[in-house]
Amino acid sequence: MTKLKIELMVNRKKRKIEITPSTRLIDLLRDDLQLTGTKEGCGKGECGACTVIMNGELVASCLVLAPQADGAVITTIEGLGSSDHLDPIQEAFIESGAVQCGFCTPGMILAARRLLEENPHPDEEEIKRGISGNLCRCTGYQKIIEAIKLSIARLSKSDSGKAK
Amino acid sequence: MEASFGDLKKGQKNCQRTVPCQYFAPQKIEEALEILSKYGKEIKIIAGGTDLLVQYYDRLYEVSAWLDLKNIEELKEIKIDQNQIEIGAMSTHTQLESSADIKRYYPILSQAASDIGSPQIRNRGTIGGNIVNASPAGDLLPALIAYRAQFKLVSHKEESIVSAEDFFLGPKKTILKFEQLLSKIIIPIPEQNTYSSWIKIGKRKALMVATVSLALVLSMAEDNKIIQEVKVCLGSVASTPFEIMEIREKMIGRQFKQLDFNELGQLVEDRISPIDDIRGTKGYRQEVTKNIMINALEKIQETWGQSQND
Repeated sequence: MTKLKIELMVNRKKRKIEITPSTRLIDLLRDDLQLTGTKEGCGKGECGACTVIMNGELVASCLVLAPQADGAVITTIEGLGSSDHLDPIQEAFIESGAVQCGFCTPGMILAARRLLEENPHPDEEEIKRGISGNLCRCTGYQKIIEAIKLSIARLSKSDSGKAK
Repeated sequence: MEASFGDLKKGQKNCQRTVPCQYFAPQKIEEALEILSKYGKEIKIIAGGTDLLVQYYDRLYEVSAWLDLKNIEELKEIKIDQNQIEIGAMSTHTQLESSADIKRYYPILSQAASDIGSPQIRNRGTIGGNIVNASPAGDLLPALIAYRAQFKLVSHKEESIVSAEDFFLGPKKTILKFEQLLSKIIIPIPEQNTYSSWIKIGKRKALMVATVSLALVLSMAEDNKIIQEVKVCLGSVASTPFEIMEIREKMIGRQFKQLDFNELGQLVEDRISPIDDIRGTKGYRQEVTKNIMINALEKIQETWGQSQND
């Protein structure tokens, strides 16, 4: 079996991993690194449950081969806050009731995070476009949009909206 | 053999079998071409992966070698060279959407890129992948044909340049040979007084494969009154994206006020060969194609009219 050694920065930690070339990034994250906050829904880039931030861009980790992420900087939901100190977007999701079954939530929060990094004051249309790659089958999106609006207010006050 | 992999969960643990799988990520095109000539059909070229990894979702284990183009910097450049633009095949849809040069000279290429998939897909998917994948619904393809794009194909032996309309042979079929790589897309800078319109019809806004798409690019003569050139190109209504040639003789040399939009819409409808599929029926596609042709003409006439008032 051919194995490749790759090195990547995941949630501010340098990780060296041996993988087979056809391993997908999502499998590397979930199986090799045990970062199971990243979810697999469709496996075909349609649902966004596997969304992570890679080199500052939102990507579907089911459509990235692990070796393509060699040298990359990756943020998963585990890299946003801790259970003691939630990220302001995570807090806003809880307060707004934007979490029901929770399966879309990690991807949705990362999409929101990336949107607000790029555009700290999006209007509703821009919010919708920012999360257009993430499906939610529970909430009907309204509470998610409210949560992101609440995050905008929080982040602009605390000025903690920088990339972590 | 199959039985032993039957219990694999879909798409997961794909390479956990005994077939060796190799991975190459060269930094130079020349190296990539050497690898291609050596491995031939056995190797899969991967750019953004947003189509390829969907196609190989449940059979990634079949791939015995990958050629990843991610490290080849010259494939990522978008640059103006005299009276044309050169777009590296690895330029992403996000790059096309945000490039000031593309927005200025090829607005509907930028719009078509911004209509693709989702942020996640646009950040990874590339113009080269969209072309080589050759989906009849490929979002960039009607605009590329309408802007008279040419593709540069390179192999370890030779280089060639081919027009966009000669590249596509059928669904997922192109003239590209296995030892060739699409390296760049070359588009002439349009004349002044060029107007364009892009319309994509589908079931939702995001992550939508077009049911019908239309790109219309029209240039006026210097007086900005007489139509000098026009291209109407369609997606998802034939086996490849293609131009409706017959439109030219009905429009070139005329002024807007001499055109019968309804007749032009009908002409487009008559020249397409759509099929029934999951995204729409043949009849629906015919009717919608006619209507979006009329809409596109109306939009262009409106923009042109504003330029007359300036």
